[in-house]
Amino acid sequence: QHKQNVGVSTGCQSGCQTCSVYNGCLTCKPKLFIHLERDGMRQIGVCLASCPNGFYGMRSPDRNDCIKCGSECDTCFNKNFCLRCRAGSYLHKGKCQESCPEGLVPSDTKRECVP
Amino acid sequence: APRAVIKVTLLRQEPTSKPITLEGVFVGGSAGYAEGKLMQSHPLSLCNTSEDERQDSIFITIVKLESPGNKVPQCQPLLDKARLALQRGAEAIIFDVSDDATAAHQLREAFSLPKPVVLVEGANAEELMGLVNKNEEAIVHIDIMMESPKWPPYD
Repeated sequence: QHKQNVGVSTGCQSGCQTCSVYNGCLTCKPKLFIHLERDGMRQIGVCLASCPNGFYGMRSPDRNDCIKCGSECDTCFNKNFCLRCRAGSYLHKGKCQESCPEGLVPSDTKRECVP
Repeated sequence: APRAVIKVTLLRQEPTSKPITLEGVFVGGSAGYAEGKLMQSHPLSLCNTSEDERQDSIFITIVKLESPGNKVPQCQPLLDKARLALQRGAEAIIFDVSDDATAAHQLREAFSLPKPVVLVEGANAEELMGLVNKNEEAIVHIDIMMESPKWPPYD
């Protein structure tokens, strides 16, 4: 008999509304974000109260997702507004850049372009 | 629809050991050869909102489809999910349809896709997903199964 692998809340990781053996969480309990976590060749869903570094939370009627920030961004408000860049990049007007415009200099501690 | 031969070689096995041979079905005229590292994608990772990370190796995506009654947000048609996976660089995409009998119909127009789309189910699917579940890194070779010609009975 085909292995029934879908659990509703029972037997799921905490925060899951529904889950399955191979995909992990499929839907989350209210207010939580579903984050698709890569672990080697596996990619499973986990339900979190807030999204991890490098992702931001996007709410919508049928589900709340963790969405990847823009490239070179460590912490962001949304796809186009970075709050903190990765090492080696510098924040200027919400974007991460490799170098700073004229009149500003890169600050490695702040990872920003500063006057 | 042409059948697919799926040969799976585990990266952490003796060089002499034989690959695991499994079977699937190509959908919608997408039959062809493909080879790559097996990588799972969560069904929700193939929605437009999400962005899977870029893979550095040549890979084949496998997706375990959940039963429609499971209320997983569909977000976009299955054919578009397959197209998105291929646009992200997959050499082919394998769908485990053991729990979703509607998949074959949804993918009947896969001839519009540039690379192979294979459906697996039952024991073949469980073997593949079992490897994924144990994070057993594997290289997958997909090819068209050569059906032996059925000779007419000579009396």
